[in-house]
Amino acid sequence: MKQLISLEINDRVYDLPLDPRDLLVDVIRKKVGLTGTKKGCGQGDCGACTVLVDGKPILSCLTLAITCRGKKITTIEGLTGDTGELHPIQQAFVDYGAVQCGFCTPGMILTAKALLDRIARPTEEEIKRSISGNICRCTGYKKIIEAIEAAGNTISAEGVK
Amino acid sequence: MSEYNVVGKGLPRVDGPAKATGKARFTVDVNLSGMLYGKILRSPYPHARILNVDTSEAEKLPGVRGVITGEDLKDVRYAFVDTPRYPADEQPLAVDKVRYIGDEVAAVAADSESIAEEALSLIKVEYQVLPPVFTAEEAMQDDAPLIHDEELEGTSAWEEWGVAQKKRSTEKQSELSNISGNTFINYGDVQEGFAAADYIREDTFELKATAHCQMEPHAAVASFDEIDEKLHVWISTMGIFLKRFFLSKTLQMPTSKIRVHHTYVGGAFGGKIDLFSYEYCAACLALKTGRPVKIELEREEVFMTTRQRHPMNITVKTGVKKDGTIIAQDIKVIADNGAYRGSGPVVIFLCHGFSFPIYNIPNYRYEGISVYTNNPIRGPQRGHGAPQIRFSIDSHIDLLARDMGMDPVEIMLKNVREQGDALPNGDVLNSCGLTECIEGAMEAINWQDKRQQSKSELKNGRYQRGLGVSLCSMFSGAMYYPFASAAIVKMHDDGSATLFTGAQDIGQGSYTTLSQVLAEVLGIGMEDVHVVAGDTDLCPIDLGSFLSGTALVTGSAVRLAALDAKKQIIEGATDLLGVDDLEELEAEDKKVFLKEDPERFVSYQQAIQASVLKRGGNPVIGTGSYKGYEKTDRYPSLAKGKGLFTGAYGFAAQAAEVEVDTWTGRVKLVKAVTFHDCGYPLNKTIVEGQIHGCASMGAGQALSEEVYLEEGQLFNASFLQYRLPISLDTPEAADGIVATHEPSGPFGAKEVGEGSVAGMLGAVANAVHDAIGVRIKSLPITPEKVLRGLGRI
Repeated sequence: MKQLISLEINDRVYDLPLDPRDLLVDVIRKKVGLTGTKKGCGQGDCGACTVLVDGKPILSCLTLAITCRGKKITTIEGLTGDTGELHPIQQAFVDYGAVQCGFCTPGMILTAKALLDRIARPTEEEIKRSISGNICRCTGYKKIIEAIEAAGNTISAEGVK
Repeated sequence: MSEYNVVGKGLPRVDGPAKATGKARFTVDVNLSGMLYGKILRSPYPHARILNVDTSEAEKLPGVRGVITGEDLKDVRYAFVDTPRYPADEQPLAVDKVRYIGDEVAAVAADSESIAEEALSLIKVEYQVLPPVFTAEEAMQDDAPLIHDEELEGTSAWEEWGVAQKKRSTEKQSELSNISGNTFINYGDVQEGFAAADYIREDTFELKATAHCQMEPHAAVASFDEIDEKLHVWISTMGIFLKRFFLSKTLQMPTSKIRVHHTYVGGAFGGKIDLFSYEYCAACLALKTGRPVKIELEREEVFMTTRQRHPMNITVKTGVKKDGTIIAQDIKVIADNGAYRGSGPVVIFLCHGFSFPIYNIPNYRYEGISVYTNNPIRGPQRGHGAPQIRFSIDSHIDLLARDMGMDPVEIMLKNVREQGDALPNGDVLNSCGLTECIEGAMEAINWQDKRQQSKSELKNGRYQRGLGVSLCSMFSGAMYYPFASAAIVKMHDDGSATLFTGAQDIGQGSYTTLSQVLAEVLGIGMEDVHVVAGDTDLCPIDLGSFLSGTALVTGSAVRLAALDAKKQIIEGATDLLGVDDLEELEAEDKKVFLKEDPERFVSYQQAIQASVLKRGGNPVIGTGSYKGYEKTDRYPSLAKGKGLFTGAYGFAAQAAEVEVDTWTGRVKLVKAVTFHDCGYPLNKTIVEGQIHGCASMGAGQALSEEVYLEEGQLFNASFLQYRLPISLDTPEAADGIVATHEPSGPFGAKEVGEGSVAGMLGAVANAVHDAIGVRIKSLPITPEKVLRGLGRI
């Protein structure tokens, strides 16, 4: 039986008729229409579907949407400022060549956001560990690691959240 | 490099912001109004005859809008290779037989994915199970079950498109067998060469199938528009024109009635160029139902039913003189192309084509055989044959050097080709930085010190380190449909430009590098360039992003188109500047000015407006085109390796430092070094990105990646079980861009996107040998193989 559920995504509340079995990734992509969240494997292996729930990175392809009631969901679309300016992590990904095909990028950036919210200037090892659940086939990770490190420095210096 | 304003700089990608904000639209993100969802019924048997397919129950299920089976097919076949010698052998849905687990039998379009899924379970298929065969060796036996047991007629691949072939091979295999392709190449006299050798060695290597692991699953959306009577498709692909050609052939529709629309491609690595059944099914179901249809493959289907790298057995025999000069080499490659020919006859040709530019060997014999089995289909994958052959040859050279008490690098340096060398097929190496690549890589990995160190060190202790090296090369485009790339540069009246290109950015950054070429030639800024790409109606023909031709071939077309536009802008300015002789004028920084007096100038805006008024309303539109290989009209002979292959070869030397845990058998890649000769690096950041991605993929295939098949069934069809590199596997990397100048490339650029996947395999295997004295000739180098080699299990 479908129920009307309120989900708060990127500071906006959506009232959605949801089946208890609906996965968060499908709700975000198909019902809400925010296709920035990617579904790479549907098995919780690749991390492309990562979104933040109350600031923590979760795999939206393994999360039932109804369990996110009353929580704050952030997708990649929620990171960009109101006037469209890039978040420092997004900017660093662009500047450092951390984006190639771009399919893992939204999930990777959100995982990085959760890391930098926790540790302002992480070590290389901490960065590697934090993104170890986000697979990228294009870059060999090197420029992603550099971009996250640089973003951490920018955020620390500018005090951006 | 400072002579240029835009090219050569590590500028950020033009598609970076769209991708970093999630706005970039991939095929999986395309949703159309009234869209249906398609699913495909697949064979559970590796080899069986289809006796009957009953779809009646499925069709009755509410929400099901269309069902298709082999009976709905027009009698057409398609394949990656489609020539009289190698007739096309694939059909979008099985008609008589299924030949591997996952082979497509029927497809359903329904209101939702779950209804489509349920409908599949209602389709009843009667099979008569046939004996299967799973290894190339078994498949080549005389009494092996025939996987393709009917005579097929081959068309000539592109003849219907209009490229005349003066003389073509009509030679067909005399009788039916599981051999799908042969390549035989011979130059010099290999017997005499071996007779004159001081030392001869022979080794056999084994490589398993590997997966591309594009992060975006394969998907297609198709919609038939009754007004313009066109089939509109959105597909995750590397080459929109080749894909349109295949679709046109299978659907028997004119190419102009199929329009491919642009989407971003979430990774390709060679695995999104063949026509796939799901693409045909989406199109066919859209035509049948009159509604848009989307088919998105599950990850397991991507692993199983798209394409894999060819598993191979490779034997290399080499004869050398005392000083390490290679005098003779005999190579035999056997590739398992799975249930359909796929790129079998191509990969056995490319194993030669991607390797023979490296060592100058006077007496050489090469034999390649591709074989049908009841395994999944194999097709192009980054490097397409190069990783397999380069791993084998350079592992073998390393062993040979050890036998002779020589440094393998000494043998490599003694035998590598140089700039100006003519290859046996007639290709000329107008740029070749192999020696510089080797020297750079050796210095970066500290070869002299560390190798001596490892020799003198006592080999005890749990962790052992070692170094290895290998070389690789790659084409920069070649002749295949549509045989050329073209570009259109449309100037706007504010002096900015739109580039129309049929090239597809598959993540490698071609929209950026092509924009840089345009901006540099035209004397405008990157912010003044807008790219329209990936649309078969809007954009001119393009070879597509495979065989590493985009920088050289499409880049040259863009360069010519920009030059054409620039000339027109200058012409537009003549009256305004009161000058008749175009030679007196120069254009730069969006201004046309007198060479003698740069202060006398007009803006591009003024010149373009003047052009419209002066030329009867003709605005400035520049066009340019460039053949896949300017010196030939034909693709080379796959069977005999004759004909010209490519306009330029990219080269690389790769070195690895590994640490072997002798207790667990785990090999850690500590440091990965790649020195790549890409001609002129159009964008340093993008070149580095390609090198890193290649090296990472090569390292994965050396150490952990294997599509694990047991009797045709795939056991590790997920990213968790198919162990591709994750962030924690990232080694310390040292890269060098060896800048040579390729005269045929734009600003001297050539290949960078594929070559460097191939050297890392041999580098790692040689480093493992250096570390623990154990030679592992079968990839991947798993902990189990290491422990067996050490005699610990």
